[in-house]
Amino acid sequence: MKALVVSRSLPRYAAAKVAGALAPSFSARLGPLGLSEIDEPELPGADWKRVYPALSGICGSDLATVEGRSSRYFEPIVSFPFVPGHEVVGRLDDGQRVVIEPVLGCAARALIPPCRACAEGRSDNCERVAFGHLQPGLQTGYCADTGGGWSTALVAHESQIHVVPDEMSDEAAVMVEPAACATHGALAADPGGGTVLVVGGGTLGLCTVAALRRFTTPATLIVSAKHPDQRRLARDLGADIVVAPNEARRAVRRATGSLEIGDSLSGGADLVIDCVGSQSSIADDLLLTRAGGTVVLVGMPGHVLVDLTPLWHRQINLRGSYAYGEEGPGTGNRRTFDLAFELVAHAGLDRLVSATYPLDRYRDAIDHAANAGPRGAVKVVFDVRGEKHR
Amino acid sequence: MRLPRLRTTFPLGAPTWPDGVERPPLAGRTGLDYDTAWARRYGARVARAVFVDDVLRPLINAVGSPDVHGLDRLADLDETAIFAANHHSHLDTGVILTSLPARWRHKTVVAAASDTFFATRAMSAFSALTIGAIPIERHRVNRRSSDLVAALLGEGWSLIIFPEGGRSPDGWAREFRGGAAYLAVKCVRPVVPVYIEGTRGVLKKGQTLPAGIANPFRRGGPVKVNFGKPMRPVEGEDARRFAVRIQDAIAELGDEWSTDWWSARRRAAAGRTPGLGGPTASPWRRAWRLEEGRRAPAGAKSWP
Amino acid sequence: MKERTSRSGGREGPESGGTRPGFVLEVDRSTPPVLFHSGESFHLERLPVGSRVVYPSEPLNPLADPDGAIRHALLNPLGDSKPLPALLHSGMRLTIAFDDISLPLPPMCKPDNRQRVIEAVLDLAADAGVDDVVLIAALALHRRMTEAELRHMLGDRIYDAFAPSGALLQHDAEDPDGMLLIGQTAEGETVEINKRAATSDLIVYVNINLVAMDGGHKSVATGLASYKSLRHHHNVQTMQHSRSFMDQHRSELHSSNWRMGRLLAAEGIKIFQIETTLNTDTFPKAFSFLQKREWEWSARDRLSYLATSKSLERVPPRLARQIFQGIDSPQKLTSVQAGEVEAVHVATTDEVYRQHMVAVDGQADILTMGLPYICPYNVNSIMNPILVACLGLGYFFNLYRGKPLVREGGVVIMSHPTPWEFNPVHHPSYIDFFEQVLAETTDPAEIEAKFEQDFATDPWYIHLYRTSYAYHGVHPFYMWYWCAHALQHLAGVIVVGGNPKAVRRLGFKPASTLRDALEMAEDVVGGDPSITHLHNPPILMADVT
Repeated sequence: MKALVVSRSLPRYAAAKVAGALAPSFSARLGPLGLSEIDEPELPGADWKRVYPALSGICGSDLATVEGRSSRYFEPIVSFPFVPGHEVVGRLDDGQRVVIEPVLGCAARALIPPCRACAEGRSDNCERVAFGHLQPGLQTGYCADTGGGWSTALVAHESQIHVVPDEMSDEAAVMVEPAACATHGALAADPGGGTVLVVGGGTLGLCTVAALRRFTTPATLIVSAKHPDQRRLARDLGADIVVAPNEARRAVRRATGSLEIGDSLSGGADLVIDCVGSQSSIADDLLLTRAGGTVVLVGMPGHVLVDLTPLWHRQINLRGSYAYGEEGPGTGNRRTFDLAFELVAHAGLDRLVSATYPLDRYRDAIDHAANAGPRGAVKVVFDVRGEKHR
Repeated sequence: MRLPRLRTTFPLGAPTWPDGVERPPLAGRTGLDYDTAWARRYGARVARAVFVDDVLRPLINAVGSPDVHGLDRLADLDETAIFAANHHSHLDTGVILTSLPARWRHKTVVAAASDTFFATRAMSAFSALTIGAIPIERHRVNRRSSDLVAALLGEGWSLIIFPEGGRSPDGWAREFRGGAAYLAVKCVRPVVPVYIEGTRGVLKKGQTLPAGIANPFRRGGPVKVNFGKPMRPVEGEDARRFAVRIQDAIAELGDEWSTDWWSARRRAAAGRTPGLGGPTASPWRRAWRLEEGRRAPAGAKSWP
Repeated sequence: MKERTSRSGGREGPESGGTRPGFVLEVDRSTPPVLFHSGESFHLERLPVGSRVVYPSEPLNPLADPDGAIRHALLNPLGDSKPLPALLHSGMRLTIAFDDISLPLPPMCKPDNRQRVIEAVLDLAADAGVDDVVLIAALALHRRMTEAELRHMLGDRIYDAFAPSGALLQHDAEDPDGMLLIGQTAEGETVEINKRAATSDLIVYVNINLVAMDGGHKSVATGLASYKSLRHHHNVQTMQHSRSFMDQHRSELHSSNWRMGRLLAAEGIKIFQIETTLNTDTFPKAFSFLQKREWEWSARDRLSYLATSKSLERVPPRLARQIFQGIDSPQKLTSVQAGEVEAVHVATTDEVYRQHMVAVDGQADILTMGLPYICPYNVNSIMNPILVACLGLGYFFNLYRGKPLVREGGVVIMSHPTPWEFNPVHHPSYIDFFEQVLAETTDPAEIEAKFEQDFATDPWYIHLYRTSYAYHGVHPFYMWYWCAHALQHLAGVIVVGGNPKAVRRLGFKPASTLRDALEMAEDVVGGDPSITHLHNPPILMADVT
């Protein structure tokens, strides 16, 4: 079958890293990603099913991998060679349309008894993603045994499979996984009736805005986004104040009626959800959060050098938000994916799918995804519907 | 500090005049009779402008760093004027000249004592060329001087004059003489009162070199100059009374320095402006008073 | 005497044979291109044949003896006021209030009118033995001034005499202990003014009446008031019903101020008003071509135009701004009136009109104007986009009596680079207004309803207004309200040479050349439009019939 494969090749990683700093399109050319003809993955067990992807999204963490930017931290929890792609809508053998919840937790790994987190339904916190009868891999799309979305076929455990309602389009369904990530981040801390700042206007940022509007009740929802199209979408999705990144400090100051103290504010936002995860964005987050407030990192940060003095002095909670599981009692302990289905349908998130590419044009696709903001795009996906199955 | 004087004897130096031989009268070409017209011709003016702007000004700035106030009061004055100032030091002339706005600076003559500045031919030429001095008697203005001044004022020249008739011996001003006022009345020109303070600390009467040059570690106090509002004699005022008014005006300008303008105005309105002449008391008390502002305040520490 | 004639002969105008009034020129084929100001630059533009250009009057002759005239005015007041010496007595509380740095424009050469007048007033006060004197800069909600700025306008003597002892104050409308509620007018307008002024035995107000909207009861009722008081006349409703606010008889802004002023008088607050007017000798010699008619430019004028405009294109904007903000204007005192507020202001307004008024026959479809580098709120600062809008649509558009120079549904074309740039010290609330308010809507009424209260009470703006050098949080709103009449009247506004993003944020249309702008305007007002160009500054006011 046709698949985009990431293989372990130190020189190619290095080349990608250098090229990625210059131009992402080069990194797609030089990097560890390549189009190959490989065998379809074997079914690892009885409760596994074969899924034929229809649409498969390109996520920020995928780009980091392709460009050789991802953290060494991931090394023991991925297995090479793997087929990327974890935002997948596809069909089962019986034609049923499904979305995959990619985390490969204890259930998929047939570990009995499951770890504590999995036992509580919080598979996002699974402790055993490197163990069991599967090769290491935190998610489908990073595991050598399961295949991934950027191909014509992969395998998924029953626990990973969510059936897509008939009225939902493929474009909407492919947004369910990112929407679930965003929902998990939005519900990571309760803003109450306070001020929330969402940093970043990419897929995660916009989905987070939608999720905050849908599932929480912030008094003021501020979004800082770099590109005009992102700002327009943020406003459409329910942000109260939408500003450019360099305007964020003033917007938060005014919304919270704070005073300025040097670069920092006397008060600040109750909750900052950072969907960028860069060094400068995290440093800014800490300056814009009120004492005792919370910063949630939804965007994957990697190596950053940040002055944590404000975190210490203002007693800020800094926490990460990864994947999805089961949300708190505020939502009736529902699965994040169930909330995400609801969110995608309700907020019309299918509009965020800006461009589709066949697998053959993966270089263009990666380039487009890496420059989504400036080119007025949000989510770029591979369209595998036209590929022939062997 | 005094410069070591080079003593030369005849025939290297000039011969001495024998007592028994009667000296012929001076040829009448120094002192009051010195003709300064050449120093107001174009070439001399250019030379003087260069001297004032490029030699005198840096020098004055170096030794006195003058703080000039009140020039805004001259904004409406668009004619020649008589600048009348109190007098402490030879520096005064230079300080006023260099602090005058450009429209007067290079067209101003200085009334200088004929007995000092015009004592010899060389001295006369030097005075006339460098500061545009014209000879004048210390204690009265004779006909010839006043005619010259009147003519110059009409030709677009302004005049700097020190109505005290000489530098102050002890730091307090002496009685103003009527010269400036007389000239103002006669020529129908405004008098600009000018108050100067601090030049005594740089170069007082009897000193040869300014403080900063004689001893680089001892700087003279900052020199302060305050220009007053142009004054004209009022209806029926004679030169004597006008002179008193000029003296009062300069005293007020001095009072402005020691306190502030508003306090000075209020004291003036109440007739309590401290006079320029200082207290009527024994010399030590007069000197003591003078130094009051200068003594280091209690608790002030000097370096290190 | 020789000296005198040769010096004053150097400057054209006043003494050599009177001044020529302003007039309207109809552009024909031999009319040279017309000067357009454009921020820290200017260019020559050829207007279509048949366009009209309104030229200002030449500067009036200044008073020969300004200090004498001031003294005369103080001793011979207008209206039912006693001469100033009769109002001064030992033991009284005297407050002297004066206009802030927004007047005059550009700042005048020293000595400033305020210095001359206040020194004359203080001379009389000293004679009368008045001890308790306080000077207050009537800032209203403007920024505080720096020491250098105060020294420039008051002179060193006044500054050194009053500032060290704390007797030179800048009005603080947000000082909870510094304001006094006077009462309410018949229309229910709250009147609250500076407490020190209100509790004085006499307020002497020293003004500079640069344009016709200044002065009168507006001096105290606005200059020493607070937000509570100002909001009754600084609002959209009032501004839309002030046609124009330069014409006090048809200005709702002035009616409100007059009601407040009369309430002050009725409450026993004694005001001795001193108003001064200036001629329009706006630019120093190096820029004198800016106030000459183009066909009278000498070889020297043409050379200095070319030299300045070409070099300005090459210097960085920051430097150009510095050069222009360093200009001190040689404008001179033309009249001084003192006494009872209303009587004084009638005489002052006549004087202002004498200098500014130019008769214009009929309205045009398109009004063009070149906006200079300065407006009342960016002295020593940056002319940000909001101020550009305010200068064009607030001030220049409203410089009319009768009806606007442009017909209803017409278009205004103004030239200004409109940089997306703000002075963060002077205009902090402007930045937020531009980024957050104008991004949402440009409708003055909606802005007023939705955002004004929030900005006016923001503690950070109040803090900066009181302790730094910032305009009050609500000030950008007033700038926008100032435009309200024009925004209601016009069908479109085009900015030539402006930063497109900033211009669009203002709700206007950007154009790169005047020709493009005229074509864009034709789409709105129809083909073969009539065009009027406002050749301002030097300031002129159109009497449109």
